[in-house]
Amino acid sequence: MTEITLAVNGTAKTVDVEPRRLLADVLRNDFNLSGVHIGCAHGACGCCTVQIDGVPRLSCLTFAVQCENVEITTVESMGGPDATHILQQAFKSEHGLQCGYCTPGFIMTLAPYVDTMLAQRRMPSDEEIREAMSGNICRCTGYHGIVSAVRKAIGDQLGSEAAA
Amino acid sequence: MRPASFGYHKATDLAHALALLAEFGDDGRPLAGGQSLVPMMNLRLARPAHLVDINALPLTAIERRGDVLHVGALVRHHRYLSDPLIAAHFPAFLEAVHWIGHPTIRNHGSIGGSISHADPTAELPAICLLYDATIIASSTGGDRRIAARDFFLGAYVTALQPGEMVTAVEFPIPPAKSTGAFIELGERRGDFAIASVGVALQWSGRQITGAAVVCCGARLVPIRASEVENLLIGRQLDAPDAAAIGRRFANTIEPVSDHSGSSAYRKHLIGELTRRTIERACQQALETA
Repeated sequence: MTEITLAVNGTAKTVDVEPRRLLADVLRNDFNLSGVHIGCAHGACGCCTVQIDGVPRLSCLTFAVQCENVEITTVESMGGPDATHILQQAFKSEHGLQCGYCTPGFIMTLAPYVDTMLAQRRMPSDEEIREAMSGNICRCTGYHGIVSAVRKAIGDQLGSEAAA
Repeated sequence: MRPASFGYHKATDLAHALALLAEFGDDGRPLAGGQSLVPMMNLRLARPAHLVDINALPLTAIERRGDVLHVGALVRHHRYLSDPLIAAHFPAFLEAVHWIGHPTIRNHGSIGGSISHADPTAELPAICLLYDATIIASSTGGDRRIAARDFFLGAYVTALQPGEMVTAVEFPIPPAKSTGAFIELGERRGDFAIASVGVALQWSGRQITGAAVVCCGARLVPIRASEVENLLIGRQLDAPDAAAIGRRFANTIEPVSDHSGSSAYRKHLIGELTRRTIERACQQALETA
């Protein structure tokens, strides 16, 4: 066992883990963050995507022992139980989810992408959005609603900036 | 599934990493981005007893050193997308990067990891072969320089010996104006390739003066299409007769049948991809000429 201190969603906690334990499992079981969903557990589905220092990362391909001295964020940090983050709201209004299993992974992958587009002040093409989310699999929506949600999250913010 | 137990060792510098790898021999593996090794471990297809985490090592340079482009083993795939040397001298490399996995994988996966893993249809092994790269394998015994054509021995099998790890890859900078393209076909975006073809051309005036063609999906390692490379030399950029070259190359290969396609399908596909990739490379040369 190895004692490590992880900074997750702004709070540091020390846990004792075997090196073989995946970050995804440690977040779910030791930090009670059940928003980290595990689909395939070998890097094919994107459900378990979290952010490490703001960059999307598959927590099933990461060992918890590798994650000292970095900031880990999960979907729980985004909009709380009411899902108030602008991208979460757009997923709701644009039917970007049905069963919701893949949704935390999409949100954690796409939230930094939306921020990048806002910083560049541009609306990406649908093809670019699909490329940005090509590491995440959704079996319910057929992806159209998710593309619309990304467009809405970017468009609304660009629009409100223009109006202000 | 979850990985079997292993010992975790964080290397502080290269000498430390190589000493640990020498100590563990066959039981040790370097851990970089983990985008290939960890899936294998989760599926219990790989069970290294010791992982040497090399992420803190400074093997992160992309820089010109004389006549070669030096790429450190820990360069993450996404960096090529904004690198001016890659764009200027290795256009097929740049195109191939867009086909590597997806953005999350490209943020973390490294060139050392990709070529050491040696997936039969991975993009970077093909690019190493296309551009006649030299792979630097380091151990406590010193460095070995291995030509890409001698490095990839089979599916997931390389010339690396126990205790060795890739520390850099060197790409000779083409002497003349170069163009190139890389096209892949998979079942869906971001998925493994069924087949891919990369082309690198040098030209003068409107005439092709040098040609390299690489193909994944024909065998369990990437292969060069040497015979048709020679046919391309001397042809005009606006009339490479790529369709005939594609057919000719397809006739020289005997791909295996598997779940993603029959041998006949792959053969046809590779011929067609060869045509499209040559035409794309020539078109890009004509646009910049």
